[in-house]
Parts: sequence; structure tokens; C-alpha cells
Amino acid sequence: MVKKSISRALSLFLAVVLTAAVAGCSSNNGAASSGAASGANGDSSKKVALTFFSNLPDRSTGQGLLEQQLIDNFTKENTNVSVTVQSLQDDPYKQKFKTYVAANNLPDVFMVWGQPSFFQSIMEQGYAAELNKGDYDSYDFLPGSLDGFSLNGKLYGLPRNSDFMALFYNSKILSDNGLQPPQSTSDFTAMAQKLKAKGISLFAIGGQEKWPLAILWNDMVVKETGSDKVVRDAFTKQDFSDPKLLQASTDFQKLAKSGIFQASISTDKTADAQNLFAQGKAAMYYSGEWDMSMATNDAFSEDFRKNLKVMAFPTAEGGSGKLTDIMGWNGGGYAVSAKSPNKDAAVKLVNYILKPENWTKSGWEQGLIVPAQKFTDYMTGKETEVQKSLVNILSTATSTSGTPVNDSGSAQFKTDFETAVQELATGMIKPDKFIQTLNDSVKANPVS
Amino acid sequence: MIGVVKMTQEKKKRSIPLTVLLTLVALGQLVPLVWLFDFSLAKSGDLFGSNMFILPDPPQWGNYAKAWINGKIPQYFVNSIIVNAVSIGLVAVFSVTMAYAFTRMKWKLSKPLLALVTIGIMVPIHATLLPNFLIFTRLKIADTYLGLILPYVAFGLPMGTFIMTGFMEGVPHSVEESAILDGCNTRQLIFRIIFPLVRPAIVTVIIMTYISTWNEFIMAATFVADDSLRTLPYAVYNFAGEYSADYAVQFAVMMLVALPSLLIYAFLSDRITAGVTEGALKG
Amino acid sequence: MHRVLSNKRAIFWMVFPGFAVFCFAVFIPLFYSVFLGMTDWRGYGEIHMVWAQNFSKILFHDPVFWISLKNALLLAVLTMLIQHPVALLFAYLIAKVGGKREKLFRTLFFVPCVISTVVTSRMWVAFLSPTYGLVNHFLKAVGLGFLQTDWLSNQRTAIYALIFVIMWQGFGWAMLIYYSGIKGLPKDIMEAAKVDGANRFNLLWHITLPLLRPVIVVNLTVALISSFKQMETIFLTTNGGPGNTTQFIANYLYTEAFSAQKYGYANAISVLFVVICILATVILNHSLKRDAIES
Repeated sequence: MVKKSISRALSLFLAVVLTAAVAGCSSNNGAASSGAASGANGDSSKKVALTFFSNLPDRSTGQGLLEQQLIDNFTKENTNVSVTVQSLQDDPYKQKFKTYVAANNLPDVFMVWGQPSFFQSIMEQGYAAELNKGDYDSYDFLPGSLDGFSLNGKLYGLPRNSDFMALFYNSKILSDNGLQPPQSTSDFTAMAQKLKAKGISLFAIGGQEKWPLAILWNDMVVKETGSDKVVRDAFTKQDFSDPKLLQASTDFQKLAKSGIFQASISTDKTADAQNLFAQGKAAMYYSGEWDMSMATNDAFSEDFRKNLKVMAFPTAEGGSGKLTDIMGWNGGGYAVSAKSPNKDAAVKLVNYILKPENWTKSGWEQGLIVPAQKFTDYMTGKETEVQKSLVNILSTATSTSGTPVNDSGSAQFKTDFETAVQELATGMIKPDKFIQTLNDSVKANPVS
Repeated sequence: MIGVVKMTQEKKKRSIPLTVLLTLVALGQLVPLVWLFDFSLAKSGDLFGSNMFILPDPPQWGNYAKAWINGKIPQYFVNSIIVNAVSIGLVAVFSVTMAYAFTRMKWKLSKPLLALVTIGIMVPIHATLLPNFLIFTRLKIADTYLGLILPYVAFGLPMGTFIMTGFMEGVPHSVEESAILDGCNTRQLIFRIIFPLVRPAIVTVIIMTYISTWNEFIMAATFVADDSLRTLPYAVYNFAGEYSADYAVQFAVMMLVALPSLLIYAFLSDRITAGVTEGALKG
Repeated sequence: MHRVLSNKRAIFWMVFPGFAVFCFAVFIPLFYSVFLGMTDWRGYGEIHMVWAQNFSKILFHDPVFWISLKNALLLAVLTMLIQHPVALLFAYLIAKVGGKREKLFRTLFFVPCVISTVVTSRMWVAFLSPTYGLVNHFLKAVGLGFLQTDWLSNQRTAIYALIFVIMWQGFGWAMLIYYSGIKGLPKDIMEAAKVDGANRFNLLWHITLPLLRPVIVVNLTVALISSFKQMETIFLTTNGGPGNTTQFIANYLYTEAFSAQKYGYANAISVLFVVICILATVILNHSLKRDAIES
């Protein structure tokens, strides 16, 4: 009896499904045809539908919210334009982006990293529309910030922020354990030992995503040698065999082996690492200025926010780099698809978002970003301590590195480098093997 | 007779330690789930304490409210229902019609086509990920329900057809013969005579397809980028990225995603167990 | 009658829609993959034919590909040696319990199988976490604190932890199939053996197991094939890391395509992946068929 009623229920289900199948297919067709109908230009009488691809999926707080608000304001001012935003986290974003490129089907406006591994081929292959440099005379972009977005003197994209690395730390954990902020990287080991007894890691870093490790390695090279030159030379010579690089790699592995990182290093994403730090399970967190909103984010405890401090990544003992030689570059920004049927409107939107009084002013005032444009005019004096420290790190910098090593080569080099640096950090390969891997990869995948 | 009574008594006595053992192992098997549920009701920070389990005091049901809304559970759930209902329905219907054409009807290409479809069982689903992605994007079906329905149906069909042909071979010819003599045309034959006859096999096919498509993640994450079309498994992945600081709410999202499957299983466990064993042993 | 059953038009409408979908989403992509596998396409720009170059590189100069295969084999072997004997034993025990409890246990053991891999994978990442995971808490509590490690990040334990997670999720399937095999055994033989005075071990070893042989064979075949096809759990836990120690073929080709942007190369891996799966199935079926005739 029960059996019978169940199978009757299932056949009924089947019938419903079939009707749904027919309905589902036809509604899909409808959606496709209405999407294809939007071929208008930037002229204000016609309806224009723009697609916008973003790497800021959280549209309700932080930079994602700011981006969304600016887009909403834009559509309010330009009522004929509608914008559909699609957003993904960094890693899925990159994957999806590559597939759009493969299908030659890029959205009208997309976020780009102004770095060779990401943007070089896009500019070379003509996927990004050329922007008119004259439009940005009043935008006050910081010197050098447009370099990653230019090719052969032509401009293809605009940066959002000034990105640079720093060491966030929880001052309470340090003082509770009688520790001082590190003077040099050689202090790390002893600090880690002391904290370990309490079940606290010294360092939290998103090792699963690998790129934070790559940047950390690069930072150690800078602190060892005083600049990023040795890495740049390695790319030109297609050879990473410089003894200083081997030295930095050895030091890097030594630190990693001495247990300064959280145990779950290769399964933690950046977000997990940040969480360990915020929950007081790690004393320090190596990240970029983009995490400055930790100081104002309600999701974290007040206690944590109060004790959050930031400093430049410490120097290496015996190294020639100073505390003010920092890892800094202009990473994220926007570009417009060269194929976009609504190129004018798309450029207008990008220009609107990045107007100094929009992204830069609001972003800075809300404590979200360090802009890529001159922002001294927007200092309010009400900045958080973290914000002030970060500005100080940036403004006193004696050298900035440019694009980190992993993003300076081809996409293949990036994968190879990041896998190798993770292996170096977890002790799977020796430093000389690491250098060997880099050499093999850079030779097989030269930067064009 | 006396022997039988004695045997059952003995059986009862013997089965007490056995029950204890099985209970322990079953609990062990389910501990991760219980743990997940436990901490989904805690405050996020509680997770970092030293207790293996805690008594959430008071239980943070708000985590579930947050998960429900910020995890966009209702929206993903509806998408899951649409995609799966259509896929499962199509697999069920196609596997009956195809299996019938392959086993009962007389035409030249019957054997080779059946062989071709059966080879599909061996093709690993992820091997088609790249080419399908490129094809789907170019044909603009990547960001539609169809982008998931098509591969789900295509990969459900070989198994469905296989189960169905096996079942039909055991169905006597006499019923349809008399139906044909009574003047049934093919459509009537299939929908009035064959469908009811193979109902148990249809249930098996539905269950097998349901288990593989409802939980499918990789294709759902690769072929669909439009948030409004995403299916339920994606919620976990998405949420873990966006609200990383909130472990308890993440766990709540995971519980909510698991819940529909658990409920369906709770109500239909007999049918599902039967379906799975039949499907697996025949496939 | 013959007219109805060989009605060409009816046959067409019965076979064509399903077959078309099948070809569209399975066969055509495979051919497309073969083509792309012979190119150096990087996802943009021109496509150059390199013919067999990708394939020879994968087979002779790509350690990661072989690591992926080795991991699949390791998974298959451990599944067969650990998961299946245990599953068989528990199937046997559950079948012995009888009554309502039998159904209850059968149901409980299968629960992990109905939950989405996304949920179980994230759950195990949390469960095995060195910072707050229950596994390490438990080890500490029972005085085995020295065994604590970061199961999924430690290169020595990562692959085993991953295999354990996969086994945990697949346990219910294996058990359920053995269970129904046992339930399908002819009762009279068992009773006759009992009357003959066979003890429980003899009964299991000499009667039950040989009778279950076909079920065991099917079950092990499925285990082997699914070991090669693993992807979701890896993608969602270690993503092949640390380094490439826990890489599996499907995950590897995904990384090669969507991270390293080597579409040509990744498609070549895809093609080999299909070939391996089909070969494995055919060889197994073939040898098992012969086996069945001999016995």
C-alpha cells in the first residue's frame, strides 16, 4: 500500500517535471533573445544594458558596497543605462575571466589586475579597449600607478588602489606574552616558541591560495637586498640563480620550518587566516592594505579591533634592505571590453566610479582603501590608527617593489612559482630545487 | 518448532552486544555531522575553545536566519529544484523510450547506438568539463539553466537506459502484443502500457539520477556564473568565501544545504536504498 | 504488429531527443577535446597544431600526471583493502540484527552518501583543522596529543586524510550493496549449512563469501573506476596541495586549464583521462568475465 502510494507520488512528480521542462526551456529562450536585443550606443535616448564583472562579491559591506553604490548612483544619473553586476572571489574570478577570454565573450566592464601574468596578454591580444589618456588629467593618479595598465604608451585600464604589504598584529597578544613587535625576521622564531605553548600561532597566512606565500618570499628578497632589482634581473636574464635569491629562499624555508606559521597553512585560504588572527589564534597576519577595514568591521570583536596594529614587514638580519623598502604595486583596477557594443557608456561608467571624489574620497573616508590617486585632500583627521600607520608606511617608503614576482611572468610561471613556493614553505623541496624549478619555468615561459 | 523458538531467543540474546557495537559505529560515522550541527548553534568564537562539543547557551538560532538570508538559500533552492526536476524528468522519459526502442523495436542501428550510449557510462563526467565549457559559452547556454540540464541529462541517460533495458528484458511480451492487436499506436503503447509496467525501474532511475545531480558541484560552479541561476551546493562555497569570519553561520549554511537531502532521505529511505542497490548492481 | 514495432518515425522520435542531448554534451565535446588536445591553444590568440606533442609530454615528462595516477591507484587499493572488507563485515552484521533495528542501521550508515560533497568536504576541513578541529581535540583528550598534526596540510598525512574522507563518504554505498547481496542469498543453503553444524566463521568464509562473489566483483569494479574519477572532494579540500601531493587527474586538468591557461595541454590530459577510464573498465570486465566462467 505504502509502496503503491509512493510510486504514485513519484509518477505525479514526473508529470509535474515534464510540464516544468517545457516551461523551463521556453523561458530560457526568452531570456536569451531579450539579452541579444541590447545593441545601443552611449547616446542618452537609447536603452543601454551594461555587464559589469567584479571581484568584490560581498556587495553589502566594504569595497563591494562602495562599488555597488557608485554604480547605483551612475544609473540614477543616467537613467537609460542599466548595469548587471556579476561578482566572484579572486580565484574563481580569475578562472571565470580566463574562460570568458577563451570564448571571446568578455563583459562590458571588468576588473583587472594590472600585472603581466593577468593583463599583459589581454592588452596584447586587443581584448581591452584603449582609453583616452587626456580624460584623466584631473584624476591625479599617483606616479607609476598606470604602468601596469599600459602597453606601448597606450592606456588600457585604470587602477583602483595602491596595494602594499604590511604586517598586522594583535598588540594585546604580544604584550600579554611579554613580547615586542619584531625588530627583524630573526625574532620570529623565539616569538613563535613562546606563543606555541598557549596554542597561538605567530603568523597566519593564506597558504592554500599560495600567492600570499609568493609575496612573502618576495618581501624577504627585498629586505635581504634592499630592492626588487634582483628579481627583475632574474626575469630579464631568465635565470634565478643569483646567490641572494638562494639565500632568501633558504631563510624563508628556515622560518617556515621553525613553526612560525599556523599549522593549517596549506588548507587555509586568506579568509581563514584572517579569521584565525581575528579570533586571537594567531598574533600576526601578513596581508595587504586592503585588509585595513578589519579595524572597522563589526564582524570582529571590539577587543580585537582595539588591539589591531600594523607595521611594515621587518628587516632581515644582515640584509641590506630597510624597513621602508616595501612590497607595493598597483594591482586591481578596471578595463573595458574592446568588443563591447556599448563602449562609450562603459568607459563613462569606469570614469565615473574612479572620479577622485567618488572612489578615492569615499573609500578613504570610510577606511576601506588606500587609493591609487592623490588623496591628501581627503584626510579628515578622523582616520583609524591602522589607517594612519598604513599611510605612514606608504608615504615614508624609500622603495616600492612593483608587481610581485609570481604575477610578473606568464600565467604558467605564476602557477609554477606558486606551487613551488608552497612546497618550499612546507619543506617538500630544498631551496636549490626551488631555484631550479623557477629557472626551468621562466625559460619555458618567457615574458613576451 | 521448538528449535525455531530456541533459535530466535538465542538470536535476541546474541544481538544485544551486536546492537551496541553497531550503534557505536553508526554514531562514529555521524559524529562529524553532529559536531557540525552543534557548532552551527554556537557563537563563532566558541569553536576556538578547547571543548569537543558544547552546549550552546542559548542556541544561536539567529545563525540560521543569517544563513538563510545571506546565504541566499531560498533562491539557490528554487534553482536546484528547477534544474533537477527537469533533468531527472527528462532522463526518466528518455530512458524509457530509448530502452524500449533498443530492446523491443526492430531497426538497423539499434545495436550500435545502444553500445554507444552504454560507453557513456565509462566516460568520466569531468573530462567533458573544458570542451563543454567552451561550447556552452560560445552557444550562450553557459549562463542558463540549460547549461546544467543538458550535461546532467546526458550523463544520467547512459545509466538510466542501461537500467531500463535490463528491466525491460524481463517484461513479458504478451501485454504489448495484445495491446498492438487491439490497435494501439506507438504513443499509446509507450505511455499507456509500457510506462506503468516499468514503474519500479523508473523509480530506480529517478533515484540514481537524483543522487548524482542534486549534489553536483563542479559543473554547477564552472558553467554558471550568474548568481541568480546558481544551485544549492554552490551556496556553501560562495558563503565560505564571502563571510569567512563567521564559522558558525558557515556551518549553518552547510546544515541548510544538507537538509533537503536529509529530509527526502528520511521520507523515502526504503525506496532510495532499494533504488541504489538495484541501480548499482545492474550498472 | 511488426508494423507498429518497426515504425521508423516512432523510433526516430523515441531515440532522437535523448540521443541528441547525449551526443551534444558527451560525444561532441570529446571530439572537440581531441582536437584541442593537439593544439597549443592558451585560451586566446591563434591556435597552432602541435599534434602529439602534448600527449608525449604528459606521458613522458609530466611528473604531476603520474602522481595523479598513483594517487588514484593508492585510493583504489586502500578502498579495496580497508573500506570494502569493513563494509562487508558490517553489511553482514546488520543483516544479522534483524527487525526494526536492521532498517535503522541500514538507514543511518547511508546518511553521508546523500549529503552533498560540498558540505561533507567543508565539514571535514573544519573537522580536521589543527586549530579547532575535533580530531585533534580528541587526540589530546585521550593522551595522544603527540599525534596531533595538520592532517590535510602535512605532506605525509594529506593524501591519507583525503583518502579517509573519500572512504567515509563512500562507505554507505559499499555497505548497502553488500547488504542487499547478503539479503539476496538463498536461505535454504544457509539453513542447510547451519543444520550440518557449520560454525559462524565457517558459514561466513565457506558459504556466504563464495556466494557473494558476483556482488563483490561488481562492487570492487565500481570502486576502482570511481577512484580514477575523483574530483570534488579534492577540489574542495586540498585542491591538490601541498604542492601536488594530493593531485588527481580531473583536478589537475582543471588547474592546468583554468589557472595555468594551458587549454591545449589540459584537453590532452582530458583525452587521456577518458582513455584510462574506458581501458580500466574494459580490462576489468574482460578479466572478471573470464574469471566468472572459470569458477
